[in-house]
Amino acid sequence: MSVLEIRDYSLDYVTRDGTYHVLQDIDLAIAEGEVLGLVGESGSGKTSLAWAIMRHLPGNARELKGTLRLGDTDLCAAGSRALETIRGRRMSMVFQDPSTALNPTLTLGRQVSEVLVRHRGLSEREAWREAERALEHVELRDVPALMKRYPHQASGGEKQRVVIATAFACRPELIVFDEPTTALDVITGARILELFARLRAETGVAALYISHDLALVARVADRVAILEQGRIVEEAPADRIFRAPTQPYTRRLVAAVPRPDRRLVADQPASQAVLAADAIAVRYDRREATRNVHLDIRRGEILGVVGESGSGKSSLARALTGLAAYSGTIALDGRPVGRMDRVYRRAVQIVFQHPDSSLNPRQTVQSILARPLRLYGGDVATIPALLEAVRLPAHYARRYPHQLSGGEKQRVAIARAFAAQPELVICDEITAPLDVSVQASVVELLLSLRRQNGTAYLFITHDLNLVQQVAHRIAVMKAGEVVDLLDIEDIGRGKMHPYTRELMAAAPLPVG
Amino acid sequence: MARRRRAPPWLIGAVSGVTLAWLLRRLLTVLYTLLVVSIVVFGITQLLPADAAVTLLGENATPEALAAVRARLGLGDPAWLQYWHWLSGLLQGDFGTSMRTSQPVGPAMLTALGRSLMLGGAALVVMLVIAVPLGMFAAIRRGKAADVGAGLVSWLGVSLPEFVTATLLLIVIADRLQLLPATGYVAPGEDLADSVRHLILPVLTVSLILVAHVSRMVRSETIDVLNSDYVRAARLKGLPPRIVLLRHVLRNALLPTITIVALDVGYLLGGIIVVEEIFAIPGIGRAILVAITTRDLPSIQAGAVIMAATYALANTLADIAYVMLDKRVRYD
Amino acid sequence: MTDTGRRLLRTPQGVLGLALLAALLLLCLFGGALAPYQPEAMDFAGRFAAPGARHWFGADQLGRDVLSRLLVGARSTVPLAVGATFSGAALGACLGTLSAYLGGRWDEAITRTIDAVMAVPHLLLALILVSTLGKGSLNASFAIAIAVVPSMARVTRSVALVVRRQEYVQAAIARGESGGWIVVAEMLPNVAAPVIIEATIRVAFAVMLFATLSFLGLGAQPPASEWGLMVSEARRFMHQAPWVIVAPSLAIAATAICFNLLGDGLRDALNPRDER
Repeated sequence: MSVLEIRDYSLDYVTRDGTYHVLQDIDLAIAEGEVLGLVGESGSGKTSLAWAIMRHLPGNARELKGTLRLGDTDLCAAGSRALETIRGRRMSMVFQDPSTALNPTLTLGRQVSEVLVRHRGLSEREAWREAERALEHVELRDVPALMKRYPHQASGGEKQRVVIATAFACRPELIVFDEPTTALDVITGARILELFARLRAETGVAALYISHDLALVARVADRVAILEQGRIVEEAPADRIFRAPTQPYTRRLVAAVPRPDRRLVADQPASQAVLAADAIAVRYDRREATRNVHLDIRRGEILGVVGESGSGKSSLARALTGLAAYSGTIALDGRPVGRMDRVYRRAVQIVFQHPDSSLNPRQTVQSILARPLRLYGGDVATIPALLEAVRLPAHYARRYPHQLSGGEKQRVAIARAFAAQPELVICDEITAPLDVSVQASVVELLLSLRRQNGTAYLFITHDLNLVQQVAHRIAVMKAGEVVDLLDIEDIGRGKMHPYTRELMAAAPLPVG
Repeated sequence: MARRRRAPPWLIGAVSGVTLAWLLRRLLTVLYTLLVVSIVVFGITQLLPADAAVTLLGENATPEALAAVRARLGLGDPAWLQYWHWLSGLLQGDFGTSMRTSQPVGPAMLTALGRSLMLGGAALVVMLVIAVPLGMFAAIRRGKAADVGAGLVSWLGVSLPEFVTATLLLIVIADRLQLLPATGYVAPGEDLADSVRHLILPVLTVSLILVAHVSRMVRSETIDVLNSDYVRAARLKGLPPRIVLLRHVLRNALLPTITIVALDVGYLLGGIIVVEEIFAIPGIGRAILVAITTRDLPSIQAGAVIMAATYALANTLADIAYVMLDKRVRYD
Repeated sequence: MTDTGRRLLRTPQGVLGLALLAALLLLCLFGGALAPYQPEAMDFAGRFAAPGARHWFGADQLGRDVLSRLLVGARSTVPLAVGATFSGAALGACLGTLSAYLGGRWDEAITRTIDAVMAVPHLLLALILVSTLGKGSLNASFAIAIAVVPSMARVTRSVALVVRRQEYVQAAIARGESGGWIVVAEMLPNVAAPVIIEATIRVAFAVMLFATLSFLGLGAQPPASEWGLMVSEARRFMHQAPWVIVAPSLAIAATAICFNLLGDGLRDALNPRDER
């Protein structure tokens, strides 16, 4: 008998704007000890399925039909008392963001032990000791002291291990993982996945692993189901889903996943430098964000900058665009830059990470694009052409940002940068919040714009696979310094900084 | 095993969160506040076109008497000098002499303050006892009849000025139903029961607006907490609702309440002025009102500074309480 | 504008608030024409008349018709309070935005001084101002405007600080825009909405404050039929004629509720809906 069985399940959300069909005719089964990966983009309904299984749906949810069974228990029919004994004991959940999934005013130890008290009937003292053992088992160090600390005193990786320990504590039959590594750094996330693999082998627990990252899921799961707009379009063993996707949507997803071996840029950049930055140091109050950074970007080149959070890559971008005070020298086209004047600001543009906050919500697309045109001597009449260049219809000029999707907003931001006809565009993690297929189309757009205009890019990202597809050279940053600056051909072979090696090992490569 | 004496945890929390440096800086801020308040009040009252001497002695006083009073009060001096005289007096504990009664201002004001603190303190306690459970209850029963009902009562509460509430209460309870005395004040020392009976209506009046406001804030905070990821995680751990509420919701919802209540002390002090006037309670509010209507400058000054000091002190206490309860916050 | 109006009408608070506002507007403009009696018309024979056919809301201690006084009193109570709030809010908003934009030591100095002034209760500040300027409606409304400035400056400042951190402001700085342009073209339109909402809710507070000042004898002066003044004058006679107190009290409450509802409705209407 399956651990989890979902048959013909459909779910709607009723809102003021209408009824949304969130899930339709879902058929899934997870056998004992099996890990099923569920992959979907935003709006696919994958998180709603998790809530449906845990029986924690919002008030406006309407279950139209179908059954959800955990073992031999009908979940839909279970009353709230019954659910209280099932949750945490027979099925548990690991959440996406450990910072918000832990109560900030309770000690970490308490949040683990309370589950043990509740479901295994232990006394407070026994539960505390058992919790210590559980935390040691997930490879946390200095456990007795950690138990007494509060969430804000632990790192992201430590917190997620606590959450995982809590989920495993009562030996459940099924664990639902909702994007557990998305909020973590690449290396930390890789370690968590190793931990998961080990625990899974030890306990034989069945798991539903939800994520938007197909490459990651294909490595973690036994089978993968692809969810598109509430429907499961394909289900296959993990090793086959990449090699031989059968459905068109799956094929699109697979094609959009960044693969380092699929190079998207074939030419070589020129040799003269557009921008040369020397000994750049950025300080915020007492903290040193970057230290002694040397970089040069050549005409038409794509220079990738990778690093984890806190590595200083965004601070570098801010320094180069005059948004942060810095010490050091910058030279544009060989001429040193003292004060960043209009010439510099026109030549060096930036596109930000968050599409929701990079466009003024009270300005139309027309006004947003007209401003840089007016400032840098362009013609306002070229706005339709500009929109077309970023693959947006001309009538979007009349729209407000909240009427656009995330990907569309990023295109407008890119158009805004190109309105100045710059020589260098700094892209600060611009695809991070986007779905993988949207990301692929934005990257393709950037490359086509580069072909037309000869622009250079400083492409900041944490996605090593993506950067290997597009960059000519890659700079690796750690703790405010550039530890490696490599040509693309030298990546993977030859001498690399140990940190670069670690980063590369952590990046999930698709199988097949 | 010998038991070592350990300080109680709340004290440790307070001490580790509040450093001496922070306390000193807070003291400086409070002093700056009082300085600004006194300058502002002094500045405003200096705009008085009327001659304080005339106010004191009346229209028919002789020019010589007026001149003598002006000299005595230092009214001929430039404004900043008058202020400096007043400030240096204050630093020595002398609030000046009332123009109306020719008695020292300080003792009278401070006695009045004591009575107001009793009224205000009781109102705060009543407010907390009613508003916090009410707000949390409304949040838990969000959208249902109880919440809507509580909401309507709150709407009404914040829309009635204190003088309206007081007058309506007087009409219904004191006049029609004859349940409680209408106005007046009885010191607790004299007759505790009677004192309480005289205080019930004033305390209710002052606390009504506060209850309405604070309960809405508590409701809003509690709703945020109820929708938070960690409460959801607690529920999904299978913890029963009572434990989720007591262990996970309560503390996180109450923390911001402390700040809100501290800010509302300002409204409370303003309301006290009106309430003491209507119910004829000889507190600091009434004293200030009398001072204002009789243009008794030193009393006005003193009253304003005392009220500002009370507000600043309440906020400081709230901040200390906050750091004791919220482990994330450290003052240094 | 009309788009906002339409969205306002979609919320129950907006509908109710606008309805009450319309009623108030009618009263302010046509109150005198609608009143059955002259508000100053005294009738010693009909003193303390209970509510009935002749006087719908009864008559006061001088025989004046309460309903008429109520209808005419709208003009004395509401417009000045609204005007006071919005002028105080405008001034406070400028101060708050300036402080947020300047940042650093200037911001800290301004904020601390604002906090210090806010240590004086609003009523007390208004009382002191009015006692200096002299009794009267105009002075009272001026005093209220001044009293509203510090809290509006605080609110504006915190909103402006959030806006300043947004990436579209960063983009403008990166473009090399001048400070003035950034404040006016990028920040202000986004700061305006929350500030307008806050100001609308403050009107309720200002109406109550104005009535309180009149009640204490420092606002509107007799024989004006300002609502707070009506309550004050009737206090002595509350035993004989409680309806003289109840009617203006309800009117004050209704006005305050109206603006609270409007503010609540505007909060939903003015937020650009985010697509999810």
